[in-house]
Amino acid sequence: MKRFLIVVLSFFIAPIFMMKGAVAQERPKSSIQMGLSDEVIEISSSFDGTDIIVFGSIENPDPMLVSEQQMLGQGRYDVVVVLSGPMQEVTVRRKEKILGIWANGASVKFGDVPASYAYATTRPLFEIAEAVDVKLLQIGLENLSVVPREVEEVEGTAETAEDLQRVFRESLARLKIDKDLFEENIGGVQFLSPTLFKVELPIPANVPIGEHTARVFLFADGKFLDAQFEKISVRKIGFEQFTYNLAHSNGLLYGIIAVLVAMFTGWAASVIFRKD
Amino acid sequence: MFLPQWDAIFLRLAVRLSSRLPFVNIYLPIAEMSVNILVLFGMGAGVGFLSGMFGVGGGFLMTPLLIFYNIPPAVAVATEANQIVASSFSGALAHFRRGTVDIKLGVVLLIGGIAGSVIGVAIFSELRKAGQLDLIISILYVVFLGSIGTLMCIESINAIRKSRRSPEEVAPLPEQKNWITNLPFKVRFEKSQLYLSVIPILVLGMLVGILASIMGVGGGFIMVPAMIYLLRVPTNVVIGTSLFQIMFVTAFTTIAQSATNQTVDVVLAFILMVGGVIGAQFGARAGTKLKGEQLRALLGLIVLAVCARLGWDLVNMPTELFSLDLGGH
Repeated sequence: MKRFLIVVLSFFIAPIFMMKGAVAQERPKSSIQMGLSDEVIEISSSFDGTDIIVFGSIENPDPMLVSEQQMLGQGRYDVVVVLSGPMQEVTVRRKEKILGIWANGASVKFGDVPASYAYATTRPLFEIAEAVDVKLLQIGLENLSVVPREVEEVEGTAETAEDLQRVFRESLARLKIDKDLFEENIGGVQFLSPTLFKVELPIPANVPIGEHTARVFLFADGKFLDAQFEKISVRKIGFEQFTYNLAHSNGLLYGIIAVLVAMFTGWAASVIFRKD
Repeated sequence: MFLPQWDAIFLRLAVRLSSRLPFVNIYLPIAEMSVNILVLFGMGAGVGFLSGMFGVGGGFLMTPLLIFYNIPPAVAVATEANQIVASSFSGALAHFRRGTVDIKLGVVLLIGGIAGSVIGVAIFSELRKAGQLDLIISILYVVFLGSIGTLMCIESINAIRKSRRSPEEVAPLPEQKNWITNLPFKVRFEKSQLYLSVIPILVLGMLVGILASIMGVGGGFIMVPAMIYLLRVPTNVVIGTSLFQIMFVTAFTTIAQSATNQTVDVVLAFILMVGGVIGAQFGARAGTKLKGEQLRALLGLIVLAVCARLGWDLVNMPTELFSLDLGGH
């Protein structure tokens, strides 16, 4: 009896939903889909950096935005792609002249710093969305919410703690950029068709090991619509993996092997180059 | 003031030219960087050549070179200890076959050396945490290279002058008793024909052990003169015995650094070792063709040049004042 009632009811209810959709002509919300050229990056002895391709499409696009985008470049879809590495604690140190020698003085330790961070956009961030939203989504080098944990000041400096933190935070980003670990590519996201996008992001030779995350963000008319993410695993393989893991899990054994290798090399040399 | 950094310019040029070849870039698993294998091999062979020519360990030249090549100083120092194991092992083997090692004296030096290495590795860890390791390594190098280079130059210039006047004249060791002979805990060392307190031997061994772990050197440049002039060890067993001690102390340091700081890069060490042992063979041959005093003067100048470069980096305002230090690495 119960089952019968449900069946009967659903016959009545289902058309109501269908009609509602048809009458209001409500378009489903635009969303974003993504894909990666690699989900695993393997570091072998010949690893010298590589590129990763992040691509995707806009689902249920608003035809108005898509067509206008091609004509005017205003009121359009924007895509931001972010590739960030595992979180780290980083200490930024500043050299100061002490007794004529440049030695490390003040330092600030930051928590939750992505080991690497690369992002690409279709346009400059300020044209894509409000500064508040971009900051909330932590897009862009200035908007990463790195937290100063410990501040070691040097006595006799006139700097306030806030000044110190700001200067050190800027230096953190600059040094990461110098090491190719932070990267920005404004305008790097290309639309292959009105809804298909692609971007190539660099993976530097010194890419940090661990789990990286690729995120794509969809904006339209200055508003955030949707986001997706995929994990990328960066790991050493083969000999590199074995060596690294052994060194960090069993340093004693690693050291003994290192000594044995050295002794063997020394012995081999004395046999090969023996004078008599 | 402008000092052209020729080594850096040369390195960059060599890297630029050779990095086009296949199999040239190799990833170092511990230093976590991609390096040019030919440059490292060349550095190993070059320093090996000098060490073969002059009969020195070469660690005090290799470690600064690695630092100039942007290898993190912590990795450079610990890895260099590993390389010295290889070079001192083949040397110690040769001396052992010839019977020019005083094992008993070597063991006492070694006990001091291991104690020193333990202390040194602990200091190394603490300095690293405080962010002052690179600075202390540089200062130690400037002090040691500066004083040893100066002494070598003065001594060899005097020797060259003297040999021009009377080539046969050899300065005898002063025979007067010094304070060392009055210390307690005396032990008889049959091979060296010495009856000597173990205290100065242990202290010397310990000093060398500390240097091995903080500076990545064998310490022969301190141990050999100290053994000759302070302990009065006969010159025929000095080199063999010091190599015996250096080999075991650097082996111990390698293991201790691996276990505590994870800074020994076997791949880097192996490239340097192979380059080093090959270079040393050619160096030894070249060394027989040059006069001793001239060799020492030349080495003294090389040592002073490396010292000047490191010293310049300390006092010259760096282009980048800030540096990153990954916590827990």
